Amino acid sequence: MTDKRLRHGTIVAGLLVAIVVPLFLSDYYQYEASEIAVLAILVLSLVLITGFVGQISFCQYSFAAIGAFTVGSLVGGHHWSFWLALVVAVAFSAVVGILVGIPALRLSGLFLAILTVAVALFFDRFLLAPGTWDSFSGGLEPWKIGRPSFVGIGLEGPYAYYAFALAAFVVVAWLVWNLRIGKTGRVLRAIRGSEIAASMIGIDVTLWKLAAFGLSAGLAGLAGGLLAADVGAVSPPSFDFLHSVTIAALATVMGVESIGGAAVGAFALIGIPEILSHTPISPDYFQLIVGVALIVQLVFAPQGAIVKMTEDVKRLIGRSTTDDPPAVTKELAKV
Amino acid sequence: MSLLEVDGVSVRFGGVRALSNVTFHVNRGEIFGLVGPNGAGKTTLFNAVTGVVRPTTGRICFDEQEIGHLKPHKRARLGIGRTFQNLQLFGAMTVLENLMLPVDAFARRGIVSDAFRLPTASFEERRASERARATLHLLHLDGIDDQRANDLPVGMQRRVELARALCLRPKLLLLDEPASGLDARETAELAEALPRIRERFGTTMLLVDHDMALVMRVCDHITVLDFGEVICSGPPEVVQKDERVIRAYLGEEVA
Repeated sequence: MTDKRLRHGTIVAGLLVAIVVPLFLSDYYQYEASEIAVLAILVLSLVLITGFVGQISFCQYSFAAIGAFTVGSLVGGHHWSFWLALVVAVAFSAVVGILVGIPALRLSGLFLAILTVAVALFFDRFLLAPGTWDSFSGGLEPWKIGRPSFVGIGLEGPYAYYAFALAAFVVVAWLVWNLRIGKTGRVLRAIRGSEIAASMIGIDVTLWKLAAFGLSAGLAGLAGGLLAADVGAVSPPSFDFLHSVTIAALATVMGVESIGGAAVGAFALIGIPEILSHTPISPDYFQLIVGVALIVQLVFAPQGAIVKMTEDVKRLIGRSTTDDPPAVTKELAKV
Repeated sequence: MSLLEVDGVSVRFGGVRALSNVTFHVNRGEIFGLVGPNGAGKTTLFNAVTGVVRPTTGRICFDEQEIGHLKPHKRARLGIGRTFQNLQLFGAMTVLENLMLPVDAFARRGIVSDAFRLPTASFEERRASERARATLHLLHLDGIDDQRANDLPVGMQRRVELARALCLRPKLLLLDEPASGLDARETAELAEALPRIRERFGTTMLLVDHDMALVMRVCDHITVLDFGEVICSGPPEVVQKDERVIRAYLGEEVA
């Protein structure tokens, strides 16, 4: 049971750091920390669809945009309760995710990647274009959203919202982990392995793939809604297509099957540009760094950096586990 | 009473006739052999029965029900199990996980009970792993539960795939060249295992293989396909002596 102890130890240590360290940081860094926690949920949505089912997606930010704009228009434009709006946002993104999943059913690899790029560009150039949402919001743009309060506790302060976002990430990570170790994870991995073989033992591949698309998009929508309340406003440029590519690349670098990788990936997404801004190198080089990291990872650690590190540590303490790189990484390598 | 009825089934891929007007009935409890040279259409026939390809014409009935319009996973749930000529195990998963999947497919619990670890989830989990272990035991595969499927030798993988199909508790089991890649000892074990499986579960089997000794030994009835057509059908002793069969296998004499 070394595996389990190691995992539990890492989780406890990580949580302690995540809870304590931001206490001593300035408001600005606490705000960035809450963005990391929310983005980690967005990366988890990729873990679900790409890590478990092996379906590449370059449109997670589009689903997040649906969440953010739903929350934005309902709270900012129509004065709904944030929580109710968040539920609607998750449901709405999930429905759109299923709709995107329908044409994706017959696609995989490069063609699926192209489809999701098309979806993302459609959102970028049409749905998120200036003016599209004016009629629905009564001309208010961008919407202003106040921080909500949670069972009477106000989340206005930057640390309070960070703690809330972190708790949301922990809960979502726990749910995703449960799916992974249960029947759902097994069925989804089987579908990734061979759709024909899966259907021959009675698995409804279509249903499960659509469910995975819906679930993943719903999680992305949740991240989008939380991001809207975090930033306090919703504007299209925050959901640019390029963000989706970056986050997919980072998730792959860290290991797209790994929940811990999701947390580290989200940290890198905010942390690296922040660190760069304190050096002579411009934060604009972030994309370049991610690109180089992706190439290095695909060559030297196709299973993902965090997954490889975990394996190395396990080997060091005398338990060897070898895993094939996930199918997705192989497909990405082909692309 | 027949369990599987294939009536006038033809499958065409573009201009190629993979199967033409194939008719045969498999009786309950029978081990039914399907043989023929390479390219005779045996795998296509399996694909038609399991729903991977749709016949151009013809009817397929299973358990007194027309199944031609059903999707593959529905047919599996009706009780049609299958193994593959080119192994289709989930290689990155453990043997136990592979075998639990057919039980998972039937389980009513889903995403919600998994996500929140509801009691039904652990109950079904136990049920699936119990059936998986029992099936492994039946095929003398104890002790490999936690090994990754890809790490096993081919002969073992074939048996695991057979075990996985059995975890579906199928009424009809389609075996596509189960002896290919097996050595003589493993083939002998297979020949001994198939009747044992039938005895235990009452499984009807449709067996395709090139190992004629195996087919002759275990099958009650044999149908021979050549170029997509049935050229002979009957008990092993009869088929063995049929002239058309000998010609199909050895080629015609050049006059």
